[in-house]
Amino acid sequence: MSEFAGAGAEIGSFYPMPRPDASPPVEEHLPPREWLKKNLFSNVFNSALTVAAGLLIIVMLRGLLGFIFNPLRQWNATAVNLRLLMTHAYPADQYLRVWFSVAAFLILTGLSIAVWRAGSRVPVPDVGKRVTALGVFVTLSALLAPFSGSARLSWLAVAVFLLASGLSVSRTSKDRSVSSLSLLVGVCGLAALSLWVIPYGHHSFVSDRTPKILAEPGTVDLTTKLPWTIMLLIAVAAYGVGLLLRDRIPAKVARTSLVLAWILTPILLLFLVLRDPDFDMGHVLSTDIPIFLVFAVLGSALLFWLTNPETGEVGRIVAVTVLFLAFGSFLMPMRMVIRIFMLLLAIFSLAGPTFSGDRRTRHNYVAIWTGTAVFVSWLITAINTPSTAPVPGQFFLGGFSMTLMVAFFTLLVSFPLGVMLALARTSNMPIFRLLATWFIEFVRGVPLITILIFFSVMVPLFLPDGMDLSEVAAVTIGYALFASAYLAENVRGGIQSVTRGQHEAAEAVGMTTSQKTVFIVLPQALRVAIPPLVGQVIGTFKETSLLIIIGLFDLLFVAKAIIPNQTAFMGSTRENLMVISLIYWVISYSMSKASMRIEKRVGLGEQ
Amino acid sequence: MTDVTDVTETETGTDSGGAARSGRDLSSAKDMIVCEGVSKWYGDFQALEGVSATIKEQEVVVVLGPSGSGKSTWIRCINRLEEHQEGLIVVDGVELSNDLRNIEKVRSEVGMVFQQFNLFPHLKVRDNVSLAPIWVRKKSKAEAEEQAQALLELVGIPEQADKFPGQLSGGQQQRVAIARALAMEPKIMLFDEPTSALDPEMIKEVLDVMKNLALSGMTMMVVTHEMGFAKEVADRIIFMEEGQIVEVGTPEHFFTNPTEDRTKLFLSQILA
Ligand SMILES: Nc1ncnc2c1ncn2[C@@H]1O[C@H](COP(=O)(O)OP(=O)(O)O)[C@@H](O)[C@H]1O
Ligand SMILES: [Mg+2]
Repeated sequence: MSEFAGAGAEIGSFYPMPRPDASPPVEEHLPPREWLKKNLFSNVFNSALTVAAGLLIIVMLRGLLGFIFNPLRQWNATAVNLRLLMTHAYPADQYLRVWFSVAAFLILTGLSIAVWRAGSRVPVPDVGKRVTALGVFVTLSALLAPFSGSARLSWLAVAVFLLASGLSVSRTSKDRSVSSLSLLVGVCGLAALSLWVIPYGHHSFVSDRTPKILAEPGTVDLTTKLPWTIMLLIAVAAYGVGLLLRDRIPAKVARTSLVLAWILTPILLLFLVLRDPDFDMGHVLSTDIPIFLVFAVLGSALLFWLTNPETGEVGRIVAVTVLFLAFGSFLMPMRMVIRIFMLLLAIFSLAGPTFSGDRRTRHNYVAIWTGTAVFVSWLITAINTPSTAPVPGQFFLGGFSMTLMVAFFTLLVSFPLGVMLALARTSNMPIFRLLATWFIEFVRGVPLITILIFFSVMVPLFLPDGMDLSEVAAVTIGYALFASAYLAENVRGGIQSVTRGQHEAAEAVGMTTSQKTVFIVLPQALRVAIPPLVGQVIGTFKETSLLIIIGLFDLLFVAKAIIPNQTAFMGSTRENLMVISLIYWVISYSMSKASMRIEKRVGLGEQ
Repeated sequence: MTDVTDVTETETGTDSGGAARSGRDLSSAKDMIVCEGVSKWYGDFQALEGVSATIKEQEVVVVLGPSGSGKSTWIRCINRLEEHQEGLIVVDGVELSNDLRNIEKVRSEVGMVFQQFNLFPHLKVRDNVSLAPIWVRKKSKAEAEEQAQALLELVGIPEQADKFPGQLSGGQQQRVAIARALAMEPKIMLFDEPTSALDPEMIKEVLDVMKNLALSGMTMMVVTHEMGFAKEVADRIIFMEEGQIVEVGTPEHFFTNPTEDRTKLFLSQILA
């Protein structure tokens, strides 16, 4: 028995455990000079390394600043083409739809920040330290950059201001703190304000050598600065509303609905707002709605019966029959909608007995089915309806929105698929295990590029007559299959970390395998898998840039192939690439930061 | 075997009016667990060699034996956490076979408490207790939570319902585990060294709960090294070694004049 001793304590430390008496060890606070001495100049070798590294940094910074502030640089290539970068050829007169979508995301962000109580209190001296560090950086840059005398002086003035304010703030009492959220709003507010006052387009602001191209000296376009200012206000307002709602709605309800909103909003925005489908009401009334009604009503009745605990063995037989009918529907000519509905109903039926319970549970289950049916029915109708905002020859979105869209749908599909694959691979049914293992190992052995090309070129050829799939959709499916294989491996790691004792405890209270999986194994497995999963989400987002090879107009394509071909911005590739790198970095870094906070919350960081 | 030394310390806490129990006549009671010639192999290694025993309704049986003698294996065969290869196990009239229905039926009637508690760390104490009643017994949520609260009261920790298991002491966790098993309203409770992972000062609180359970008439099978508990609460003691039952008897018989040499040796080691 001794081999198991202490395992209980280990499990305990995985999970949130406020330890009242465990205060963090008091950090040593050395004055700057001693800190330098202790960490950077403790002995001769150390000092030499410090000096060499310092020199290297200076040389690199000088090179970088020389590149950035070279008057030949065409930084306004991206600024002027911002719309192209963000949405490519989306019609300018429909742009209100884009802003509506951005606003929707910001509202969700504001509400989520309030509901999940994101943000923390930052001690004021720490803020001062960061401002000081920024001041040091600006000083160094002002000295190293190829500025003219007057530009250097004005930059130095900025640096001195930063240093002075930073130092004075860092002297204040340690007990005072500000919320990190108000700092964020402050910084964003300053950025928005600067759009109104700083003439960003004016090159001589950094150098008085004559720039090659001097666009309109000066100001940011009203169509940029006005919407962004409004967006900031909307985000702040949404946060305020979130604060009000937070205390009036039970946390669980608020969080569940927000998660649902985060999943549904992109789909609704894409297919309802941005794409603006031109519904044919005759067809909708005569075909789509009747099909939906049949499945909603009959399906609800069936599921209500299946979730009755008294139904017993007959229920399972009926559920399997539905599954066979669903598979059979693919062999017979009929509408795709019907097949999809059959398949969905089969899944719900098979899961029914697992979630059987009292009347309320059963009503909830039926409500979830009806909601899913409404959504799927609408989605399929919307996809099959032509758009009012057509862009000749291409998908109606491009640039950054396409990058985001492909990443979102890839993750949306690959998450459930990956979890199912992981479950199949760890199940004790040999068929499932074998199929999942083959699929995963096959996909992991093939380069992503191959899969993307295959799906963009080959899949449309294999499709049955009358079914057509846009290239973007085909490639997204391929990418999702690829991502799901890797995701499955991460989830499998989590599943295997769930101890045997947990399985036994669940079995000992009489849970079925599916109940054990849903209530005990997966919640613990996914928690353990958060760090690798976030890494994968970031990777999936960044690697959408491979779409450029298929010739889809994603962010990278616009930056590399479209803007540098404009007569005004010939050869601006490097500048554009630097700007989009910054965009990729900001998003990836924020995700990574957010995940660290989530890990801390679920107590993983305490291991 | 460090835990054995704790026995004598906690013994003093559990010495009130127990001797009467071993005198109970349960011969007319119904058979709850029947094992006949149960054998089990792990690969080539035989962990159980023809174990036969019958446990009556309301009976409390303590299983003793050195480490590795097959106590856990046997008790885990009774709710099919392990599969036996030969022999017969009948629990409350249902024979354990490969039929999934039977296994689920038996498991929902047999509660089990583990040495390592095995609470669900991601669920609050209340949900640990009410999860199975809701999804296996199909109770309504309100009813299951009310029952959970009552059970937590029974094991003496009603105020911990909103905490996570990781925030409780070992003794409290084991009491939650007992409440979780009781929530399924089992007819039989199995305990596999429930106090072996506990600090000495927490052993008594768990034993007290088990004692009350025994007094309330629960059929119990307890693997333990707590001799005080065995003496006071057990109707019968079963001594195992190397996968076989060596000796069976009342606590009086067992502690005063055991017949088998191996039993004597074991007792002399443990009580030394
Ligand atoms: N899963 C297993 N695989 C192989 N051998 C096992 C396994 N579980 C237990 N054993 C062996 O079976 C014997 C009995 O173990 P166990 O029932 O745990 O004993 P006890 O609970 O009496 O200490 C031991 O020799 C042990 O090594
Ligand atoms: Mg054991």
